[in-house]
Amino acid sequence: MARKSTHLQAYWRGAVSIIVLLVLWELGSLSKVWIKWDAFEWLRHLLTAFGFKPIYLPWIGAVPAPTEVLAVWARVLVDPGYWQSWYMSFFRVMMGFVAAMLIGIPFGLLLAVSRTSFGIGFPVFEVLRPIPPLAWVPASILFWPTQEMSIAFVTFLGAFFTIVINVVGGARSIDVRYFQAARSMGSSQSDIFWRIILPGTLPSIVVGSAVGMGITWEVVVAAEMISGGGSQIGGTSGGGLGFFIWNSYVGGSYEQIVVGMISIGIAGFISSELLRALGRRVTPWLRLR
Amino acid sequence: MDATALAAPSAAVSSAVTTRGAIVIDDVVKIYDPDGAAVMAVDHCSLNIEAGEICMIVGPSGCGKTTLLNAIAGFHEITSGQILLDGEVLCSAEKPKAEPSSDRIVVFQNGALFPWKTNLENVAFGPLMQGKLNKTDALEKARAMMADAGLAGVEHNYPGEVSSGMRRRVEIVRALMNEPKVLLLDEPYRALDSLTKSVMHEALLEIYYRNKVTIFFITHDLEEAIFLGHKVAIMTTRPCKPKKILHVDIPHPRDYSVLTSKRFRELMEETNDAVHEEALKAFAAGEKEG
Amino acid sequence: MSAATVDERADDEVVEILRQTMPLQVARDDLLRRIAAAGRRVHYEATQVLYEVDDIADDLYIIVSGEVRHTLGPGAHAKEPTKVLKAGDVFGWAALLEKTPRRLARAVCTKPTEIVRIGGETLLRVLATDADVGDVVMSRFATMISREFTVPDLADQLRRIHRKMHAKDIQGMNLTLYRMSLWLKSPRPYLMLIGFALFLGFWYLAVEVWKLPRFREMPGITAVIKEWVSREPTYGLSIYTDEYYKHIWVSVWRVTQAFVLATLLGVPIGLFLGWSKKFKEYVFPVFEVFRPIPILAWVPLAIVMFVATESAVIFLTFLASFFATALNTMLGVESIDESYVRAANCLGASRAQVFRHVILPGALPFIFTGLQISIGVSWFSLVAAEMVSGQYGLGYVINTSYTMVRYPTIVIGMITLGAVGYVTSALVRVVGDYLMQWRTRELALGGR
Repeated sequence: MARKSTHLQAYWRGAVSIIVLLVLWELGSLSKVWIKWDAFEWLRHLLTAFGFKPIYLPWIGAVPAPTEVLAVWARVLVDPGYWQSWYMSFFRVMMGFVAAMLIGIPFGLLLAVSRTSFGIGFPVFEVLRPIPPLAWVPASILFWPTQEMSIAFVTFLGAFFTIVINVVGGARSIDVRYFQAARSMGSSQSDIFWRIILPGTLPSIVVGSAVGMGITWEVVVAAEMISGGGSQIGGTSGGGLGFFIWNSYVGGSYEQIVVGMISIGIAGFISSELLRALGRRVTPWLRLR
Repeated sequence: MDATALAAPSAAVSSAVTTRGAIVIDDVVKIYDPDGAAVMAVDHCSLNIEAGEICMIVGPSGCGKTTLLNAIAGFHEITSGQILLDGEVLCSAEKPKAEPSSDRIVVFQNGALFPWKTNLENVAFGPLMQGKLNKTDALEKARAMMADAGLAGVEHNYPGEVSSGMRRRVEIVRALMNEPKVLLLDEPYRALDSLTKSVMHEALLEIYYRNKVTIFFITHDLEEAIFLGHKVAIMTTRPCKPKKILHVDIPHPRDYSVLTSKRFRELMEETNDAVHEEALKAFAAGEKEG
Repeated sequence: MSAATVDERADDEVVEILRQTMPLQVARDDLLRRIAAAGRRVHYEATQVLYEVDDIADDLYIIVSGEVRHTLGPGAHAKEPTKVLKAGDVFGWAALLEKTPRRLARAVCTKPTEIVRIGGETLLRVLATDADVGDVVMSRFATMISREFTVPDLADQLRRIHRKMHAKDIQGMNLTLYRMSLWLKSPRPYLMLIGFALFLGFWYLAVEVWKLPRFREMPGITAVIKEWVSREPTYGLSIYTDEYYKHIWVSVWRVTQAFVLATLLGVPIGLFLGWSKKFKEYVFPVFEVFRPIPILAWVPLAIVMFVATESAVIFLTFLASFFATALNTMLGVESIDESYVRAANCLGASRAQVFRHVILPGALPFIFTGLQISIGVSWFSLVAAEMVSGQYGLGYVINTSYTMVRYPTIVIGMITLGAVGYVTSALVRVVGDYLMQWRTRELALGGR
């Protein structure tokens, strides 16, 4: 059975799709050029009939072409400000994320272990959870002395809720027989906690942090955009890839917008992979499944 | 390759009117991962199953019995050898995977009644999908078959609402609706307690006496095997191969009083050693559940 | 009705008689003994009337010896109304029916007859102690009623042996009420109140009483509440102002549009991604290229692409929702137990039929979980998008309240957002519960 060739097949198919995507993108962006040709007069009429301006294909026409983006990117790669943005965003994400883990995991475990704490804490938690983290931004700014701290707080909130929910869920789903086995072998309460509850919850913590990481990036980018431009939540603190994108927009360099977007995508991917690798080291027993 | 002398005709196949459902497993080999670490799951296994016979396959967990069942059903490929049904080739080295069809229907270990359909809809599923009956007729026939099997009254419940023993029976009726040649049962009563099991056994036999199908039944329970089967094939641990074939000459129809009969005890003694030996080997090898 | 003579004989004989009846053949000895212990033997003379149509049906009758003529009344719509019953036959099973048990037939002895009578309720109770066998016995009763007495419709009305006897009537409203009563009796609602009290109390004290330095600028809880319920709100938004509802409506409408679009596109694509390996190999890489890009990073590009900010906002919300839905749907399809697909194949279903009858319903629970996540994500993106661009909407309210120094309104906006978000998510869940009756019922019985 040609097992290897199916893998190769999968890669090829994926590659083909991406290439097709890039080609279509290029063509779409260049529509502002070729739509002027005589051959496409019918298209211009069609667009006007639908209420669009006949200057390019709707939506995709306004986006800079991949080739243009790459050209700008080459330039930006040597600009230290660009790498500074990378550093700032990563730094914020890590800060917020670590804080969320440090506070969220113990809090989640407390809720899971103590029924009273759960009864008191969980309803309040569930009421606050649906409020989108970004809605906390103004309140956060009012509360914290510096801009940086207010962004950090909002970032923290974003990941916090997800991690806690996953920890609680994970701890509750630990098979009750593990507890019984431990107790019958004479384990103390703290033993049970450290050796059963904690490791048993780890897989859920890992999953929770993966999702939490995604949310953290979203919030950081948003916060950077908001604080840097857009609204009047002004301030001198800026920087970060979100700010980079916003700045590019304001400055009129649309190619840089796309550069920024792809950069964040890559940064997010790297952090997810790091997290997944860390997760695998921490839960080696799951690999065998 | 013509394996004729493998099994003497079992004495207890009562008035087998059917000549359909005879399975010949001929020198079948199944190897996983041909280009990696080759694991032989089935090792030159040959077995004859007569039409209308209840053939029990006994062996320790993970020895490859399910692989055989899956090969007959058409879910897995075989590496070499062939399997024949009523003389026709199901699968062979040239055509490694059989076509799943309602000729050979599987009753799964953990049950595969569709939880989102009522029991009645489940039972009517086969003929309805194959277009053999229209909706009203299919439901009517299903109702009748369920009543026949003593399952009247739970037609409009969902499988999740009835006991697991009942679910098994519904699943068997669902299979029988399609008049299969072979019923393939993969440790169907494994998850039931022994008291429910004995009720299930009698229910199965009752159904069998009314619908003569060939039954290919995998179990690790020797008592169950001898109680139900015409023929018991005891398999070795991986790789799987018949170690000993027992012909159960206790006459059908049987009821639970058989369990305490002298002949039953004798048969258990004959085969217990063989089974235990294989179980020890499997234990030592640390087999993971198949 | 009236007993001519009551005899007490050895239970063994009764057990034997019971064992020979069709429904009780499968019962084990100890069960039969308990049933026998609950019964009593009665002797009747020839021509004695046992009961008439419409008499109260209390007992089940089992003939030990003799003969009974059993004539079903017109109300039973029997194909063959008259039956002659002999030793080993069972009748009087109206005592086991769901609706108010009244006799459906007239039973008369044609010879001197010995009968074992057992109370219907008692029999059911005994059977309930061994639910699995009880199930079998009841279904044999059903078979007997439909085949021998030729009244199949009445077989449906037989009482059921439920696994948990106290949850007898487990449909809809009763279940909710039952659950609520359990909840109220537990310590949970009171702990919940303590939790809220602590939270709100702390807020109140920190801002208005202790006036902690950090909390100086924060709006106090009294200020927020006063503003929220005042008819003439200082900052223009309260439950009495039209504008409040306008903002809510605008946000809700945007989320609805985006969510519906994302579902209409995401579910089919997710289904195919899970179902067809080929499709997944082609399309999933493209998916994974776009997914790591945070939705909000799209904001400037969206503004460039969609000249109208309204479309931009909806596009962004749609994007977030789409990814979540498609991904979860795909995972749902991939999580379906292989046995179901194999079973369907065995039973002769074609590929399209497997998709419609197995994949679709099987993935539905996962799809709905995905939809709940998706709607949460939609709100997240919507708020962000509204804060950055656009007019009206709750995100916009929160943003501008800050810049215009209307602090209590910020909190009003936040709370409203939380509430509306919760309601929309609950709506999705309720729709899911309704579409998947089989799941709700299974879970009500305590799951598998």
